[in-house]
Amino acid sequence: MRVFQRTIAGIKFGILSPEQIREMSVAKIVTPDTYDEDGYPIEGGLMDPKLGVVDPGLRCKTCGARAGECPGHFGRIELARPVIHVGYAKHIARILKIICRECSRIKLPQEKIDEFRKRIKNARKIGKDEEVIIDELYNQAKQVKVCPHCGAEQGEIKFEKPTTYLENGRKLTPSDVRERLEKITDEDAEALGFDVEVARPEYMVLTVLPVPPVTVRPSIILESGERSEDDLTHKLVDIIRINQRLQENIEAGAPQIIIEDLWELLQYHVTTYFNNEVAGIPPARHRSGRPLKTLAQRLKGKEGRFRGNLSGKRVNFSARTVISPDPNISINEVGVPIEVARELTVPVRVTPYNIDYLRKLVKNGAHKYPGANYVERPDGSKIRLDKAKSVEKALKELDVGYIVHRHLQDGDIVLFNRQPSLHRMSIMAHEVRVMPGKTFRLNLCVCPPYNADFDGDEMNLHAIQGEEARAEARMLMRVQDQILSPRFGGPIIGGIHDHISGAYLFTKKETKFRREEALQLLYIAKMYDEIKKLLKEKSEDGYYTGKQIFSLILPEDLNLRYKAKVCKKCETCLEEDCPYDAFVVIKNGKLIKGVMDEKSFGAFAGELLDRIVKDYGTDKAREFLDKITRLVIAFISKRGFTTGIDDEDLPEEAKQRINEILTKAEEEVQNVIEMYEQGLLEPLPGRTLEETLEMRIMQILSEARDKSGQIANEYLEKIEERGKLNGARIMAISGARGSLLNLTQMAACVGQQSVRGERIKRGYSGRTLPHFKKGDIGAKAKGFVKSSYKSGLSPTEFFFHAMGGREGLVDTAVRTSQSGYMQRRLINALQDLKVEYDNTVRDARYVIVAFKHGEDGADPARTDWGKTVNVKKVIEKVISKRG
Amino acid sequence: MGLNLRPLAIAFLKKRELVRQHIDSFNDFVENRLQSIVDEVGIIETDVDYHIKLGKIRVGYPEVIEADGSRKKLYPMEARMRNLSYFAPIYLEMTPIREGIEGETDPNVPIGMLPVMLKSKVCNLYGLSDEELMRVGEDPLDPGGYFIVNGSERVLVTIEDLAPNKIILERPERYSKITEVAKVFSKRGGFRALVTVERDREGLLYVTFPSLPGNIPLVILMRALGIETDQDIVNAIALTQDQEILNEILVNIETFMDIRTKEQAMEYLGKKVAAGQLKEYRLKRAEQIIDKYLLPHLGTEKEDRIRKAKYLGRMALRVIELALGKRDVDDKDHYANKRLRLAGDLMEDLFRVAFYSLVRDIKYQVERSVVRGREPTVRNVVRSDILTERIRHALATGNWVGGRTGVSQLLDRTTYMSVVSHLRRVVSPLSRSQPHFEARDLHPTQWGRICPNETPEGPNCGLVKNLALACKFSTGTSEEEVEKLLIELGVRPIGRL
Repeated sequence: MRVFQRTIAGIKFGILSPEQIREMSVAKIVTPDTYDEDGYPIEGGLMDPKLGVVDPGLRCKTCGARAGECPGHFGRIELARPVIHVGYAKHIARILKIICRECSRIKLPQEKIDEFRKRIKNARKIGKDEEVIIDELYNQAKQVKVCPHCGAEQGEIKFEKPTTYLENGRKLTPSDVRERLEKITDEDAEALGFDVEVARPEYMVLTVLPVPPVTVRPSIILESGERSEDDLTHKLVDIIRINQRLQENIEAGAPQIIIEDLWELLQYHVTTYFNNEVAGIPPARHRSGRPLKTLAQRLKGKEGRFRGNLSGKRVNFSARTVISPDPNISINEVGVPIEVARELTVPVRVTPYNIDYLRKLVKNGAHKYPGANYVERPDGSKIRLDKAKSVEKALKELDVGYIVHRHLQDGDIVLFNRQPSLHRMSIMAHEVRVMPGKTFRLNLCVCPPYNADFDGDEMNLHAIQGEEARAEARMLMRVQDQILSPRFGGPIIGGIHDHISGAYLFTKKETKFRREEALQLLYIAKMYDEIKKLLKEKSEDGYYTGKQIFSLILPEDLNLRYKAKVCKKCETCLEEDCPYDAFVVIKNGKLIKGVMDEKSFGAFAGELLDRIVKDYGTDKAREFLDKITRLVIAFISKRGFTTGIDDEDLPEEAKQRINEILTKAEEEVQNVIEMYEQGLLEPLPGRTLEETLEMRIMQILSEARDKSGQIANEYLEKIEERGKLNGARIMAISGARGSLLNLTQMAACVGQQSVRGERIKRGYSGRTLPHFKKGDIGAKAKGFVKSSYKSGLSPTEFFFHAMGGREGLVDTAVRTSQSGYMQRRLINALQDLKVEYDNTVRDARYVIVAFKHGEDGADPARTDWGKTVNVKKVIEKVISKRG
Repeated sequence: MGLNLRPLAIAFLKKRELVRQHIDSFNDFVENRLQSIVDEVGIIETDVDYHIKLGKIRVGYPEVIEADGSRKKLYPMEARMRNLSYFAPIYLEMTPIREGIEGETDPNVPIGMLPVMLKSKVCNLYGLSDEELMRVGEDPLDPGGYFIVNGSERVLVTIEDLAPNKIILERPERYSKITEVAKVFSKRGGFRALVTVERDREGLLYVTFPSLPGNIPLVILMRALGIETDQDIVNAIALTQDQEILNEILVNIETFMDIRTKEQAMEYLGKKVAAGQLKEYRLKRAEQIIDKYLLPHLGTEKEDRIRKAKYLGRMALRVIELALGKRDVDDKDHYANKRLRLAGDLMEDLFRVAFYSLVRDIKYQVERSVVRGREPTVRNVVRSDILTERIRHALATGNWVGGRTGVSQLLDRTTYMSVVSHLRRVVSPLSRSQPHFEARDLHPTQWGRICPNETPEGPNCGLVKNLALACKFSTGTSEEEVEKLLIELGVRPIGRL
């Protein structure tokens, strides 16, 4: 096979000239009828066989090709009178306003015209927008009252949408318009931005209408055997009918009014043929009252040709099903149901080296799992392996050079995607792991980049069909290569929920394991090498600490120090001697101090994970994540972990203290209100007195809530120290799920409810609810919820809470639709930008947009949380290596 | 906590079933409003000497007309099973009038079929005991309140609308210009007219109302309505000594000094509404417009003009007060400013349109048979399908009159609760594509009326609501009664001309 290579240098758009239209036309269409009584297309009708074939079995009268091969051929309608092309109506109006009504020259002195021509030429050369220059010319010429060339007095041109032009209130017919446009000299046309080689101004007024081939507007045959024509055909029939009548009337010498009426009607039909949603005229309708879908409607909008068929093509070799979690597979893998694996195929070329293997697959056929669905001959024809007979045939034939479309197998690279695809980590390459069951399985660590959960989410999988694509996917798109997010230069793939709380409990000081327990854990986690390593370590009277076991996963020469998530942010940090074990010290691959939590390997935050990826590479990082998730899940499954309403139990004393604080805050609010009423309140700079009051009240109440939260936390901590596990608190402090605020709301006080950032203010006149006195602006009356979720809300509190909650619901609903649109606009604006090898950012035309990408040339994914160089870390690394 | 309110709640719900509002509303429609729609027409006048006087309208009980033409009592279950419509025949009393002489009255002209709401007074299930209900195939716990059209159960969803005939103050921002506007949706019968009084930046007051191109200065309109002297205009707007308000009014009076009399004002109005016509026609048209399109809820007769002027004065005062900061804009989401349109109201709209098209058709039929030299009879000129099909089509597709869609919905039978919830649904006509944050909020005035929790997530959030359990509907009181009571209490009526 010979390969032709051509480089597209550029694309030029022009307007079809009448001659071009006639030239490309293979048939002149004259009759509005399509088929005769026998159902055969009429010559000279809209279904003229010369226009191409759509019915299978027939041959095209022009090119002789069969349906499917023949692309179709254009015909034409010779219009009895010229007609304005709506698409150019505005353009024509602009030109009419700046050319002389007598001589059709631009109403500017010759020198000026020449100057504009030159400027446009230059702008075109350097790729600048010429529209601005034309605007300038337009603004200069439109005011001119007397033609500088012929001295003719100029009329006032008015454009009436969609296709009418008035001169001094008198209508200009399309013929008049065309005449004027024809007279424009080539030089003047250039000054108007025309490239006369491909577009002359008068081409904007149609004299011949191209008729698209039947392949563009196929008729469908209904079940009843009736033919139903395409909307375009309907519209063309209308045009021909009116055109015919117009022609006849002109020839018969009918009165001017009748001709004008018909002409107008022809203009209407041609206008709606191009665009049936033109403002100012009623859309042409189908007999049923449905507006016709004409040319512009085919292209426009979400389901139009561009967005629906070109940007959004549909693909083969893809699968979609529900996802579910599997902590036992690698983050690089995806669990694929056998049913899917049997349907999706990978093309493999037969060589002397794999022919035996492939023969086995072909022998298994399409229905037995490791099999194949098709065998493709070198000429491209395919044998489907769904029947024993065809399998036999294929086996006999199979030879080097054939292509076997074999089932998806373990280790194949596939693309995995979850919508909305908002960033590049929404599509990643996974290795296939064929499994029983009907769902796609994925490791929990990859949930964050996909933003997936398992409440019924579905994902798509694409089997890669080419070697180049496969290599690219493996090198660039594999999950492990996406651990670092280019969004913030930290890991986006990492532990979530139970991984975090599990690791926290696992690495706590108190956590110790007997030898058997430790080995069992490692065995469940499939960390066989680590078992040997552990046995070499010395145990403390037969016990291994969690930190000791955890260290087995760490690279041996890793040195790292950081503050964990559980850090209490004391005023002076004691570092290694942290009483809460919140300062992590890793020395030579041993976890000496500190607990593992969100800051160590959580998605979006993991420092330890971040260090491993950056210093040891993605292979090590993947291994680390796989092991840690298995180990920690094994541990937490064995240990057990729960949360319940008793996690928020507070002693009577705590409740009293909280109540005191809240009551005091309410009193304080009353005091401030009194101050305000007596005029003693000082307004804050830039605020009115009322705003100041509101802010003060909000501040007092939020402080009170925080304080009550602190008290609640204090007591919860005390209870925990006595040895009772408090799941809710552990999750909150380790960063696994929830926050201290959530705890506060459950245990102590829900706090102020707000709508659009303000206290509840709408409602009945002078008050929110009739439960309060008019003019009451105290805490309770404006939506402060003193109760906790656990103690239960009073009716008014409940209602205020529902108000605040409603705002949240509305917000999410409105935001999702808005963010989709924003994303679309961003993509459209940025799609062509690319960082070249010289570090410049350029657009599609190769114009430089930024001289250095990001002004520092750094790849954000490789930065340290956005910072190009983290001096502190470098120093630490050097020091630790020495010491 | 000690008080057990459960028995109370149970007793409460037993006494007032969950879909009472719809059934009551439909009953009211059948018993009163149907007749008033007929009375609006009164006599069908034709271009030939054969008119028809309309009398009492009566609704029968649901029945089915079989293929052989026999009629049989229809129960809902049979309608559901056989894909029939649960419709009852409507009979109208008609009297032909020839040469001014009334002919023989036909008290039972069938003019079409009316969809019957289950468990309403004209429903065959009305008043049946549980055992009887079971005997005719009904679930005794089924709440009713829906229709059956072509075998499918259709709910007319309650629509939440801005209250008509109520002045609402707004401060709209148009092209960064802030003005003060008092709006009122004046409603009379099926006609809704938006009348506004607007104060521009210079403090001048203008009125707009339907069929008036642009606007007209308030002062001039007042004069056209018969309040001629400056003092009367001031009094009509505000009986106050407040200098600020008086100044505002005086500015208006002084600006439009050229037109001082009623005649001049009418001429001014005529030039606006019928430019380029003859003078007599202009004046006629002007009179017609102020009577028919300006505040029609106050009446459409000449005598009502003074009341309209006073009403406009009241609107103007509010606008002035708003501009002077003595008053605040009205909260459109306040439930006092909302009205719920139930099944009966919606059926009224639909029936009115269908009935008018029937009347038009009758007129056409009468004229046609007279032209053809045949003697029309009241039975022959009524083509009952016109009314029936118009109503059936609207109910079956949800495409209501006025271009509203989704008014009738297929009853959600997922569970018993979804049925009840669907029958108690309230939708706002606001578009779901725009944010409308305020309208979606839970408003404190919804307490006790609308459920604070039940609203869908997504684009309809806060626009689709459900009634609170204890919500009760008031159906309005007749104006005469209120007027009578007020006068008894010492309110002085505005003098009529």
